[in-house]
Amino acid sequence: MLDHLIASAASFSGDVDGLFVLITVLVGVWFIAAEAMFFWLIFRFRAKDGEKAQYVTGKEKHLKKWINIPHALVLVCDVVIIVAAIRVWVTIKQTLPPADRTVRVVAQQWAWTFADPGPDQKLDTPDDIRTTDELHVEVGKTYHFLLESKDVVHSFFVPAFRLKQDADPGRIYTGWFKPTKTGSYDILCAEICGIGHGVMGALLVVDTPEAFQAWEQAHAAETPAEAASATESTPAPAAGQ
Amino acid sequence: MLNKAYAALIGAALSAAFVAGCGTQPAAERSSQLYETCMPCHGSSGEGNLALRAPAIAGLPKWYVLAQLEKFKKGVRGAHPDDMEGHRMRPMARSLLGPNDPELVADHVSKMRAVWEKPDFAMADTSAGGTTYRGLCVTCHGEGGEGNEALGAPPITRQHDWYMVAQLRKFQSGMRGSNPDDITGAQMRAMSLTLADSVAMHDVVSYVKTLPH
Ligand SMILES: [Cu+2]
Repeated sequence: MLDHLIASAASFSGDVDGLFVLITVLVGVWFIAAEAMFFWLIFRFRAKDGEKAQYVTGKEKHLKKWINIPHALVLVCDVVIIVAAIRVWVTIKQTLPPADRTVRVVAQQWAWTFADPGPDQKLDTPDDIRTTDELHVEVGKTYHFLLESKDVVHSFFVPAFRLKQDADPGRIYTGWFKPTKTGSYDILCAEICGIGHGVMGALLVVDTPEAFQAWEQAHAAETPAEAASATESTPAPAAGQ
Repeated sequence: MLNKAYAALIGAALSAAFVAGCGTQPAAERSSQLYETCMPCHGSSGEGNLALRAPAIAGLPKWYVLAQLEKFKKGVRGAHPDDMEGHRMRPMARSLLGPNDPELVADHVSKMRAVWEKPDFAMADTSAGGTTYRGLCVTCHGEGGEGNEALGAPPITRQHDWYMVAQLRKFQSGMRGSNPDDITGAQMRAMSLTLADSVAMHDVVSYVKTLPH
């Protein structure tokens, strides 16, 4: 339903949309009912000539039921929403279906870099394909991602997957997704992380198996090797100089 | 009648807003406004910031600043997955969206008063560094470290020593200068590879800090 507004490209993105629709409908029905009642009361009991206004405490049983019954019904709706939300949460965040492939996602001020395991399917080996600004995945495969931040708090946000995961520096977050539709989708940072936060974007490209193979072959050879970090190996300046 | 007057009024307001919003801003005002993007890291007078590993940029020639902004913008510089500082600079260069923005901000930077940055490292062997400098660096950066526009080599005498050492390391590891479109970077990378070790880097950078500025 919401995929008319924004592409829905992961196995669980429909579940999140379903939740949105459920909440909108349940809350919307009560919103309209409450507003209709409100305006009807204003109209029905408007000032009239020769009729004195009366003060109603609402303590009597026959009046109180107008509060108690909707209250109980709203609570039932609440329970429905909570149950549905927890089910989706468990699907996305609490379960980890076995992976066909594992990629690394690294956030830093203000870019996304990625590591694909390359032909040997193992991360942290020389044939890893390391990229900046672009993550390639194969449609229909289940991916695990290992998310980390090099500096401050960032958040890995893929709107088309309905996926969002914060990344605190010092931790590795494991999550999963299964792309279901080919195309190029935005990756955004969803946690204010400094002056470049607004332009911290990248692309998630969901390829057909053939396109993915071609991409892998093209990049396996020319991937930038892990360079010794210039920052870490820079000695601290001599004190007092 | 009233409707027509109303429409005319709205039209006038909109066109006034449009005129006010674009085109009329003086270039100098625009360029100092653009520099506000650079200020958090490079400082209000372009002095650089060790904590953020941002170099001193005040007084760098316009052609050099412009060339580097273009490289960052295209991902020719700063896009290596391990280049932390490059990743901070790249989106900033990309955020200069107007066609004249890079030029305006480069002009602004070039007109800032350059200050000689005192060494942060203890001075190393400047005579060994001098020998290296006269053997390698002098061809492009000049005898006095004044740079050479024709060769795309920036002036270096006023740069922070820690920044120069960090860049030498980046050139050596291929974090900088290994992109096929980075011609001048590749030249510098080849030179950096002739430096044997970090001692040689510190020596030559210390020598640069002794050059008149
Ligand atoms: Cu971020």
